[in-house]
Amino acid sequence: MLHEDVVCPFCACLCDDLKVETDNGTIVKVDNACDLGNHKFLTDDDHRLKEPIRRTPSGWTSATLQHAIDRTVEILLGADRPLLYGWSGTHGEAQSIGVHMAEVLGGVIDSTTSVCHGPSILAIQEVGHPGCTLGQVKNRADLVVYWGANPIEAHPRHMSRYTTYTDGFFLDRAFKERKVIVVDIRRTQTAEVADEFILIKKGGDYAVLSALRAIVRGKSDMIPATVAGVTKEQLLRIAEMCKKAKFGAFFFGMGITQTQGKYKNIRNAIELVDELNRHTKFTLTPMRGHYNVYGFNEVCTWMTGYPYAVDFCRGMAFYNPGETSAVDILARKECDACLVVASDPAAHFPKDAVRHLGEIPTVQIDPYPNTTTAFCELQIPVAVTGIDAQGTSYRMDGVPIRVKSILNRGYPTDTDILGEIYRRIKEAKRV
Amino acid sequence: MVRVILDVKPRKNPFLPVEAECLVPKNFVDEREPRDLSVWVGNKERRLEEVVTLTREGTATSPEDVELVLRGDTSRFKRVGEYMEAGRITIEGDIGMHCGNLMKGGMIVIHGNADSWLAREMVGGTVRCNGDAHHYCASGYRGEKRGMRGGEVEVMGNAGDFTAEYLTGGSVTIHGNSGDLTGVEMAGGTLIVHGDCSRVCANMTGGTGYVYGMVHHMIPTFRFRETAIIGPEKVKMSVFEGDIANRGKGTLFIKVYKYPL
Repeated sequence: MLHEDVVCPFCACLCDDLKVETDNGTIVKVDNACDLGNHKFLTDDDHRLKEPIRRTPSGWTSATLQHAIDRTVEILLGADRPLLYGWSGTHGEAQSIGVHMAEVLGGVIDSTTSVCHGPSILAIQEVGHPGCTLGQVKNRADLVVYWGANPIEAHPRHMSRYTTYTDGFFLDRAFKERKVIVVDIRRTQTAEVADEFILIKKGGDYAVLSALRAIVRGKSDMIPATVAGVTKEQLLRIAEMCKKAKFGAFFFGMGITQTQGKYKNIRNAIELVDELNRHTKFTLTPMRGHYNVYGFNEVCTWMTGYPYAVDFCRGMAFYNPGETSAVDILARKECDACLVVASDPAAHFPKDAVRHLGEIPTVQIDPYPNTTTAFCELQIPVAVTGIDAQGTSYRMDGVPIRVKSILNRGYPTDTDILGEIYRRIKEAKRV
Repeated sequence: MVRVILDVKPRKNPFLPVEAECLVPKNFVDEREPRDLSVWVGNKERRLEEVVTLTREGTATSPEDVELVLRGDTSRFKRVGEYMEAGRITIEGDIGMHCGNLMKGGMIVIHGNADSWLAREMVGGTVRCNGDAHHYCASGYRGEKRGMRGGEVEVMGNAGDFTAEYLTGGSVTIHGNSGDLTGVEMAGGTLIVHGDCSRVCANMTGGTGYVYGMVHHMIPTFRFRETAIIGPEKVKMSVFEGDIANRGKGTLFIKVYKYPL
C-alpha cells in the first residue's frame, strides 16, 4: 500500500512530502526522505523492544504491561521530587498528559530543550524573537546565514526544501541568486557550499557578533584587526552583504547555543538581526533537533506559562533553568525518582547526572532499548509516532503539523500508557 | 535583642532542596510565631521544627533586634532571607540558592560558600559571603530587565559566571576572580573585581566597572578613552566606554586586558 504526504518524524524540518510503501505490516520503500529519515522508517522494526522489561538481581526479565504500570505509579507516588524528562520524541497529546501529571504529582518536568535550544528560549525571553515561517524564507530570502549549524549532516533536506537549492516565489533565479554564509569553528560539509565561510575560533561567537553589530551601526573604528580569528576585512564584507540583502534569514544551531556564554550568544545574534532590520528585512530561526522538541515548548507554555524546566513541587509552576532543568537536578541529586519519556538522557547527559539516574528508581517509556535502558528499573515499549502512532508535532518554525500513523504494529501509544498512569495517579490522589 | 539558633536536623535525603523563605528576622520577633512557620522539602510541606531545632536567647520587639544563626548542613536551603527588610542572618556553613533574593534591608553574613543566585534582584541591605559565590551572584531573574538595584554585595572568595548580570544599582565587590560574562547587560551601579574575569561588562549600557586583575577575551566593542591613575594605591588603568554595540554609555576601568584574537 502506498502512503503519500507522510510526515518524517526525525528532525524538526518535519518534511511532509514522503511516500512510504507498506506490505503486510512492513515498510518496504521510502521516497523523498533523507538518509536519516530513510533509516528511521526502514530499520524501525529491527530494533523495537517487544514487551515491557524489568531489572532483577539476576538480569532483565519480561514484565506484564499491568505490572509495569503498577510499578511506575508506585514509584511516582512515593517520590518527594520526581523528575519527568524527555518528551521531544513523542506527540503533543502525550506531552500534555505529562504536564498534567507533573502538576498532580508535584514534580519537575523538563524536555531535551534544556540541553539543546534552551538558551535560545532564554534569549528570546530577554529580547524577543524576530522569526518567520520556513515558507517565508523559501520564497523571499536572498541571503541565508547558518551559524553553528551543519544542516547537510543534521537536517539534510533543510537546504533543498527551504533555502539554498529551492525555488522562491519572489526570487527570479533563486538557485543562483541566493547567497549563503556559514559560520563555524571547523570547515563542515555545509561550509563547502557557502559563498562566504567564516572560520571562527572556539568560543569566539559572542565577540564576532558584537563586532558585527557595531559595524552595522557604523561604529567600526574600535574593532581590532582580528576578532576571534576573523579578520576585520571579512567582518566588514559580511556586514555589507547582510545590509544589502533584500531578505536575510539567520539559522543557528547548537554550535552557538551550547558554547561558552550560551544564551548570551543567542541574545547577541537576535540583537544583530534587530540591528539589521534597521537596514533591511532579517529574521532568525533556531535549527531545532528532535522532530517535536518545539512541540513540548508550545504545549508546556500554553499549559504552565513556561516552555520547559517547570517545577511543580510547591503546587504551582516555577521556572528557572539552571536550577529546575534536568541536568542540574540530577547532577545535584535533587530528585528521588525519574520517568524518562521519548528520549535518551544517558547518551547525552554528563556523568554525574547519569550516575544519579542509576541510583534512583527510573522508568523509561520508549520504543527502543537505548543507553538509558542500562540505568532503568523498568522500560515500557510504545508505538513510534509517525510510524504506528499519530499526533501533533511542531516544526522548527513553530508550525503545527499532524503526524500520521501508517501501520499498526500492535503497540500501545505514549498517550495510552501515560493516560493510564495519569488516571491511576489521579485516583490515588483523589484529584 | 534576640538570637535565634536554627540547628539543622539530620535528613534521610540530605540532597532534597528545602525551600525556606520563612527564615527572615521578622518571623522570629514573637517567640510564638515560629510554630506556624513551614518549609517545603521536595513536594511536602513540613513544619519548621521538623527540619531544624530552634533555640532562642533573649527577647525582641522589632526585626532589627533579631539575629538568625543557621548551623549544620544548610547547603540545600533555598531562599533564606528572601524579601528580608531588617535584622541579621548569620550562616555558619554553606547556603543554597537564592539567598537574599529581593532583599530590602538588614545584613546576611555567610561564612561558607553561597550557591547560585545569591542576592538576586536585591534592593537594599548588605550581603557578605566569606567563601565563594556560585553563578549569577547579584543578578536578575530569567527574562527580567533589571537585576540588583541597590545595597551591597561583597564576596571574599571567587564568584561564578554571569555575576552582576543586569546590575542596575548598588555595588558588587568580588575580592577573588569572577567568571565569564561578569557584569553582562549591566545598566547601572558599581562592579569591582579584584581578581581576573572574562568578557566583562559585555553589552553594558551604563554603570561603572573596575577590574584590578586581568580581563580575558575583552569585548572588542569598547572604545578606549584614556589611561587613568585610580585609587589610593595609584593603579594605572585603561578607561573604556561602551558597549558600543549596544549604544552603551558605561565606563570600564581595566588594569590588564587581552582581546580574543
